[in-house]
Amino acid sequence: MSIWESVKTAWQSIFSNKLRSSLTMLGIVIGVMAVVLLVSIGQGFQQSLTTTFNNMGASALYISSSTDKTITTVRPLTFEDAQALEDKTVAPSISAVSPTLGSRGSVSYGNNNVTIQITGITPAITQIRNYQMEEGRFITDQDTTARNNVVVLGYQAALDLFGSESPIGKSLRVSGSKFQVVGTMQKMGGFGGDSYLLMPLTTMQSKITGGNNVQQIAVKAASPELVDAVIAEITSVIRARHYIRTGGADDFTIQDMRETLNSMQQTMATFSIFLGAVGAISLLVGGIGIMNIMLVSVSERTREVGIRKAIGAKRRDILLQFLIEAAALSLTGGLIGLLLALGGASLMGNISLGTMSLKAEISATIVIIALSVSVGTGLISGTYPAFMAAKLDPIESLRHE
Amino acid sequence: MIELKNITKIYDLGTVKVNALDDISLSCQKGEFISIMGHSGSGKSTMMNILGCLDKPTSGSYHIDGQDVASMSDDALAVMRNRKLGFVFQSYNLLPKLTATANVELPLIYAGNKNRHQRALDALESVDIADRASHHPSEMSGGEQQRVAVARALINNPLVILADEPTGNLDTATSHNIMMLLTEQCQKGITVIVVTHEEDIAKYTQRTIYLRDGKIIEEKRR
Ligand SMILES: Nc1ncnc2c1ncn2[C@@H]1O[C@H](COP(=O)(O)OP(=O)(O)O)[C@@H](O)[C@H]1O
Ligand SMILES: [Mg+2]
Repeated sequence: MSIWESVKTAWQSIFSNKLRSSLTMLGIVIGVMAVVLLVSIGQGFQQSLTTTFNNMGASALYISSSTDKTITTVRPLTFEDAQALEDKTVAPSISAVSPTLGSRGSVSYGNNNVTIQITGITPAITQIRNYQMEEGRFITDQDTTARNNVVVLGYQAALDLFGSESPIGKSLRVSGSKFQVVGTMQKMGGFGGDSYLLMPLTTMQSKITGGNNVQQIAVKAASPELVDAVIAEITSVIRARHYIRTGGADDFTIQDMRETLNSMQQTMATFSIFLGAVGAISLLVGGIGIMNIMLVSVSERTREVGIRKAIGAKRRDILLQFLIEAAALSLTGGLIGLLLALGGASLMGNISLGTMSLKAEISATIVIIALSVSVGTGLISGTYPAFMAAKLDPIESLRHE
Repeated sequence: MIELKNITKIYDLGTVKVNALDDISLSCQKGEFISIMGHSGSGKSTMMNILGCLDKPTSGSYHIDGQDVASMSDDALAVMRNRKLGFVFQSYNLLPKLTATANVELPLIYAGNKNRHQRALDALESVDIADRASHHPSEMSGGEQQRVAVARALINNPLVILADEPTGNLDTATSHNIMMLLTEQCQKGITVIVVTHEEDIAKYTQRTIYLRDGKIIEEKRR
């Protein structure tokens, strides 16, 4: 008997038992759907991480005040601290410095009102972070000195406030004050998202927060190899400005993107293992389901096996018939599960969790893996029942009711 | 053609041993029509199973067409059943999910033959049941099902047809039709062996063998 005939025989038996076949497949359908969706979400997550990392700048460092409770006096970071770091004689490895100050606040235009991240920046930020103009212009040094009431909107913020209108030149309100929109930014993606508003740091200090403090100082190393040198330079400059004695602890922390990347990758690995385990468990359950139904099917079809053997089926023919049946069942289940996962992923679109925006990324690799794993599950769980069927004694089987 | 020599079959049930067949010797010619009779438990089915290569004797030798069956592997026995033997059962034993044609095609599938559909239709035609070709067993009467079963037994041009009580579930008129059909096959040169309880059925055959307690006690030729 040829393989092709075995396949046809298997299909006949799957089709003549539609309800049971569907129920058997259900386990695999759910298993494959779970694996594909979970892994795709994982991959989408990873992609967002990469985008975020790129947006933040590979050779960027971020200085912020220490949150260590054991340090008694923490001097806040100031605009002057940032200026000191621009001095090439004490900090030769630094190529750009931009102090920032952020808070969440409400922004309104007409009847549209959104609560988004509002950040005061200096123009140097574009040398550190990956900001690309969509329309209009960015904040200038002139805006900073004159403390102009001008803002630049992130892609999503512009869309939410202005819809299809062009925001350039329009006035909007931030925490009660009037501001003019001078530019909009391109879509960036990643976990920072695109719902943000930028204004001159000086304007932010005088109109929104008050005072002379900054929250964070973004610094760019002249080259990625100089990151360690930059850390040393920042440390000595800021310690001197904050009057920290030798032996005293830093009252600020420096976030190095290399470390951040490392910890992100570790989180990602844990996440992947977790998702993989959940998927594997659902496939295992599906496989047990197939084995269970196949065993029932073999005992129900004992007489059929007896008849087939009497008229010339060899052990191998019976073995193949049941194995192919199990594989075909799980492959079909796998395909259905895959289709559902594709549907689910596109239905999900972009999930927004706070500022995080997640998208399931289905890759060809995961599709191939899911289908081969489902056929593999079918073959493994079909093997034992198929052996039971193949070794049935024809006389006993023919007597079976 | 068929040669049984000193065949015994002992079922070892632990405490007791059942001598289902006890020193049976028998030879049949090509085209012979033979019946086997005996009380229930006399060993008729056991003998048919051995003749049909479904079971192996405890001792003795068995040759079909000059080939020694005792030394064959399971796969070789499957090939033997497929090519040289045809079975007709009391309960027809058609596969319920398949049409008459598909049932008749089955032995050809295991033989790896092409052009199966046409050959199956021809076989159904030859047993006068072509009009039921696309029916399922549940849509046919017992007699019709048994005809399909005979077509299935004939499909690979066997040397021998083995029928264990083929008329056991049929009424008298239908039984006689089936026996006529089997008689035709003998006339074409196929050896036919039937097991039966009824002298009326045995009358169709040329030779009747009587079994009791696994032994041949009498042989009658007509
Ligand atoms: N698989 C078996 N195991 C044990 N004893 C069996 C088995 N098959 C048949 N027998 C015994 O062998 C004897 C012959 O049985 P069988 O050939 O079925 O008789 P018949 O078909 O003439 O009624 C009986 O005593 C029966 O109980
Ligand atoms: Mg019997």
